Amino acid sequence: MTELGLRLAVSLAQIAAVMGIVMLTVLFLTLAERKVLGWMQDRMGPMEVGPYGILQPIADAIKLFFKEDIIPAGANKFLFSMAPILALVPALIGFAVIPFGPDQTIKVFGISVKPFVISDINIGILYILAFTSIGAYGIILGGWASNSKYSLLGGLRSAAQIISYELNVGLAIVGVLIMAGSLSLVKITEAQAGGFWHWYVFAFPAPQIFAFVVFVISSVAETNRVPFDLPEAESELVAGFFTEYSGMRFAFFFLAEYANMVLVSCVAAAMFLGGWNAPYPGTILGLLGLESFAWAEGVAWFTVKVYGFLFLFFWLRATLPRLRYDQLMKFGWKVMLPIALGNIVVTALAVFIYQQMK
Amino acid sequence: MAHTAAIRRLSLLEWFKTITFYEILVGMKATLSHLIHYKPITLQYPHEKRTLPDNYRGMLALLRYDDGTEKCVGCDLCSAACPSRVIRVVSAEVPAEPTKRYSKEYYMDMTRCLFCGMCVDACPVDALGMTREFEWAVYDKRQLHLNKEQLLAIGDRSFPVREKRLELQHPNVAFFNVTFKHVPRKPN
Repeated sequence: MTELGLRLAVSLAQIAAVMGIVMLTVLFLTLAERKVLGWMQDRMGPMEVGPYGILQPIADAIKLFFKEDIIPAGANKFLFSMAPILALVPALIGFAVIPFGPDQTIKVFGISVKPFVISDINIGILYILAFTSIGAYGIILGGWASNSKYSLLGGLRSAAQIISYELNVGLAIVGVLIMAGSLSLVKITEAQAGGFWHWYVFAFPAPQIFAFVVFVISSVAETNRVPFDLPEAESELVAGFFTEYSGMRFAFFFLAEYANMVLVSCVAAAMFLGGWNAPYPGTILGLLGLESFAWAEGVAWFTVKVYGFLFLFFWLRATLPRLRYDQLMKFGWKVMLPIALGNIVVTALAVFIYQQMK
Repeated sequence: MAHTAAIRRLSLLEWFKTITFYEILVGMKATLSHLIHYKPITLQYPHEKRTLPDNYRGMLALLRYDDGTEKCVGCDLCSAACPSRVIRVVSAEVPAEPTKRYSKEYYMDMTRCLFCGMCVDACPVDALGMTREFEWAVYDKRQLHLNKEQLLAIGDRSFPVREKRLELQHPNVAFFNVTFKHVPRKPN
């Protein structure tokens, strides 16, 4: 009984830590996005709250927290309240299987704990894909329950877009799964150890560079980011599916979008760019004789990769205009899908031949 | 295939550019170069203000002579010149001097003013001036309906150097509604 309680306490502590880090990252991202976007457009970004505007996220959070929470007349109250939660929970729940650092086991009060992954389940990536699909329900129901034309249009666009592009995400990672022979993100990451030429983007016998490009583009589309931000196209649909939302419910959608960005970046880093593996074999801290601190280097590399992806999101947003709806669909079904399918065939053949030759 | 005839075949270079997202990369290079050579053109407005040009046309004001008397003679030419009907003048005789006139009441509805400066041009005694004030945002637009005292106060704080009172003024301006003794009568 005490062991169960202890396990529960350790797990909850881990969950709290990961949630805290993710939430802090999201807070930081809201500022970083506005700053980076400003700098790229020869502006300064937020400058008023705190020195150089660094306290802006806190001001935003306080503002959203105290804003009036409006439920429009004619809205379906239950679904309207449900939708932001449905959007946020799947975005956060995916972090349970992300390996943030080396797969070590430490003993806490006689219980073995893996400190850098909450739960190493053997279908990790499938679990993430399943839950991000549920996240789409939040957007669609939010758009439908608002009783507003703009919201409904945004929700419908989101439905079509997420269905089209989630297919590509799912197919793009199949090549990696063939090469790794596992669905567990921990095992996939471990299989890429020993230098950047073992990362699945570049790995022999079938470099997943095309799958990587397809995955990145599709994940941008799946998180509803520019240039695929049709569900919330502010120049066409006011704010898309969250037009009618205000206060904390709006904040939930906002958090969900940014948490999804972080999640997708984590998955891309773990699947294609070697996760917490350094781009050179081994670790520098290990060579220096600080083997017990080598995990810090792994975590740092993972952070660098994730933030690189997040910067790419901002960079794309600063550069590209929005796609037209038919272009979006055409691009998804006629370009991305064949590339992803072709990649699966080529990868499967290459891996098969490689294994026969060995 | 009739419907494919209209589609132009891509040349090899164009095809290569398409599959490598060449144009998008060019755009991303441009945004990145702006990030690296970060030189904002932002002016942090309430903290730093731009230098106004010399002929800046800001808030209107009524002026005084150096002895503190009002310049305005109540001729109503400003309200005649105004294209937006901002100005309303109630003219009256100066109580002690029946040959002189002044503006008993003078109103400006600054919600309508378009700062063209035609009233300033029209004024024969230079009683109107355009200051360099522009921070006139108010919560209640009725506060922009200014009376004579407010306009004189704006003039007092914006034009500390006042014009000397002229001893002799042009008779057409300084004297209204009187027969001019030095002008010969019309023969009729």
